Amino acid sequence: MSDRITVEELSELMKKTAGITVSPQELRDRPDTAFEEFGIDSLGLLGIVGELENRHGTAMPVDAERCKTPREFLALVNSSLLAGA
Amino acid sequence: MSAPHERRAAVTGIGVVAPNGTSTETFWKATREGLNVLDRVTREGCGHLPLKVAGEVRAFEPSAAVEERYLVQTDRFTHFGMAAADLALEDARLGQADIAEAPFSAGVVTAAGSGGGEFGQRELQKLWGKGSRFVGPWQSIAWFYAASTGQISIRRGLKGPCSVVAADEAGGLDALAHAARAVHRGTDVIVAGSTEAPLAPYSMVCQLGYPELSRVEDPERAYRPFTDQACGFVPAEGGAMLVVEEAAAARERGVPVRAFVAGHASTFTGASCWERSRQGLAEAIRGALADARCAPEEVDVVFADALGVPEADRAEALAIADALGARGRRVPVTAPKTGTGRGYCAAPVLDAAAAVLAMEHDLIPPTPNVFDVCHDLDLVTHRARAAQVRTALVLSRGLMGSNSALVLRHGAAGAS
Repeated sequence: MSDRITVEELSELMKKTAGITVSPQELRDRPDTAFEEFGIDSLGLLGIVGELENRHGTAMPVDAERCKTPREFLALVNSSLLAGA
Repeated sequence: MSAPHERRAAVTGIGVVAPNGTSTETFWKATREGLNVLDRVTREGCGHLPLKVAGEVRAFEPSAAVEERYLVQTDRFTHFGMAAADLALEDARLGQADIAEAPFSAGVVTAAGSGGGEFGQRELQKLWGKGSRFVGPWQSIAWFYAASTGQISIRRGLKGPCSVVAADEAGGLDALAHAARAVHRGTDVIVAGSTEAPLAPYSMVCQLGYPELSRVEDPERAYRPFTDQACGFVPAEGGAMLVVEEAAAARERGVPVRAFVAGHASTFTGASCWERSRQGLAEAIRGALADARCAPEEVDVVFADALGVPEADRAEALAIADALGARGRRVPVTAPKTGTGRGYCAAPVLDAAAAVLAMEHDLIPPTPNVFDVCHDLDLVTHRARAAQVRTALVLSRGLMGSNSALVLRHGAAGAS
């Protein structure tokens, strides 16, 4: 598993943990669209953060679950993974 | 249930997801014909349990009824609830645009006795199998009794008064009464009822301790209340949601009033104290009739609780006689749930739905699998009975000791 979280992985996590289908291409095209608009609420994002922590065996920044958009979220978790690597 | 401003609570929509039908039409056809759909339990992981017969909703395909997010985030009992709420709203001709016009005047009331056991079990297995970090966030909602009310409210944009009756079986009738009270207080629409999904391993194990549970393995002999073969009750899943609406608001929309929620009362006599339930149930009947300003002679049919435990059946027969007097020995009594099983809080809501349909069709559905009645009751057996039905009395008792009675009046019943 890569140490960098991609839009592909985020798309898969959104489907698996919250039942929301958004394609990787759509995440790439609309990275500043709010998670809420995609149908991911605060509990949905919490589920994604939990799953990522289990997969990567490391804690995510506390602000990860407060991110409003995919761009913000990926930037934060990837900088955290990079710093921890 | 009279109100100062004469706001009347009417039933304008029925949504059924039951073992004998996943639409109101199929449910009524099966109920009218006295079809027995009790069968061997086939739900995954339940085969080894000593509870062999139940009423499963086999015709229900969750992915066809609700969006993927709700499949992931909610339990089967909520899937049933969402599907039944959709059917009820459609039946009442209340679309998303209608609700969006006055979202704060439409609410939800559900009753739940079993909760989201299947979802809860899955997450608890992650907790003990892999650790707390593997429990998903939806566990914080999905297995609680309140989940269906909340999720139906969110999904359909119903922002008015919402509540949950966490109760035993009788809670189903209490939820309908609560909806009627909300209408009296000023809310125009309440989606009310109950759906349950107790046929999953953890939930089934929870039921095994009930002495009232039938262990008989023959589906035709497992649930036969009011006979000397009575050996307990058979559980079921599914349920029904009704649209309870202010009558004048419904008429303004041009939607027919199918029935009135006219009266209700409930009492408590203690868990499994069936002999004492005689007095409690009789008192609930008297209270509901008084609330509806209904004389015993006006009751055209009684939908019985019909637990199937000899002591409880005797108490119910005596309660009907105590409360209805001479009428108690002549009034037709029925218990269609012997063909579908008792879905806990959902059971009396299905009875209420059947009662509305009985009034509309002037036909009293029969009591499947019950033939030789050993109580002084005019139980409708074998086949449906044609009769003018203007007033129906629905009874329910819970394993935890509640006794409730609900009076429904025909939709054409006068304004008095």
